[in-house]
Amino acid sequence: MVDRILVIDDEEPILFAIKEYFMTHGYEVDCASEFEEAEALLANIQYSVVIADLRLTGINGAEGIELVAFVRERCPRTQIIILTAYGSPEIEEEAMGRGVDAFLRKPIPLPQLAQIVFALDESRPR
Amino acid sequence: MGNPCLLDLILAPGALTVLFQPILEYSEGWWRLYALECLVRGPKGTNVEAANLLFEYSRRKRAESLVDRACVAAILNEASRLPLTENLCINVHASTLGRDANFPAYLTQMAGQHAIPLSRITIEIVEHTPYWDQPVFFNALCELRKAGVKIALDDFGFGQSNYRMVIDCWPEKLKLDRYIVKGCHADACRQAIIESVMLFAGRRGAQVIAEGVETPAELETLMSLGVTLIQGYLFFQPLSRSELLESVQKGATHFTLAANHLDMLGRRNLNES
Repeated sequence: MVDRILVIDDEEPILFAIKEYFMTHGYEVDCASEFEEAEALLANIQYSVVIADLRLTGINGAEGIELVAFVRERCPRTQIIILTAYGSPEIEEEAMGRGVDAFLRKPIPLPQLAQIVFALDESRPR
Repeated sequence: MGNPCLLDLILAPGALTVLFQPILEYSEGWWRLYALECLVRGPKGTNVEAANLLFEYSRRKRAESLVDRACVAAILNEASRLPLTENLCINVHASTLGRDANFPAYLTQMAGQHAIPLSRITIEIVEHTPYWDQPVFFNALCELRKAGVKIALDDFGFGQSNYRMVIDCWPEKLKLDRYIVKGCHADACRQAIIESVMLFAGRRGAQVIAEGVETPAELETLMSLGVTLIQGYLFFQPLSRSELLESVQKGATHFTLAANHLDMLGRRNLNES
């Protein structure tokens, strides 16, 4: 079965770029631009890896971190990557404490992101 | 800039697709079209095209009422173009009935607009959260009943669609959840549950509809337990308006597909007698 990735970001070009890149590497990729849309997908579909922006439009703070709790509770075998342009050491610490598998700074070259996704996907419990 | 809000796409005119799944009734050797469950799909090409995702998203967005209203509008519009007079079963969240005090008036207005009598409508209550406003909810049930609308409990036996809901809603119809129906031919526990629901419904004067019937063996078991209202892929998958009309025309009023399945069961095909 093809591994499936969920990408959560409110910037269409970022969703598009990540989706296209990982599809060429054989992944099935879903994209969500809202917190609730991501939750609905996560409640119904099993993902190998979730790549989430820390902040989504319309909500203050770090809803990417809120999503971590949701993923950890419902999909314990899913690996979570947080991407952010705003991350402080405190937020990173909080994210890692909540069970994020990788905390990455934007912008990040897609090949570099891919290496991390491949490694996490490889190491995840099956 | 962010993407347009998915909820706006859902609520846009013409965004929702309506499908109809026939519910058949077996009586005195005949199968007839009893009702149509009206099912809705989300905007094409979005993450919420599938119904489960559409409603999961709506609930997480706490927009059940908005989406239920949009579904009612789309369903009644599509159903008004059918030359049929069977009952229409429409799913509505309990939270919509419990939070949107004007929902009964909205349904009445939309039905009037499409010249569909309210006595043709059954509201199937879908329950996911037990914390709706009870007075508003009960008032909605009263108003709907007064207008001639029937009440059904959807997914009965699963999650919050339980005996408490029966006590609170006094439904005219119970839709057995597919989890109970699936594999009932080979499971004494499922059969006992169906038997007890039939007994209870009989005492209350309620009807029982089996959802998700997929095999002749399940159908045979359900019928042996007295269930005569059947819905599922064994007979029909959800159909577009044109597919439904084609099926009705092909099968006249006594659905040939249903009759074929009776043949599969080794029963006499009474439709041909």
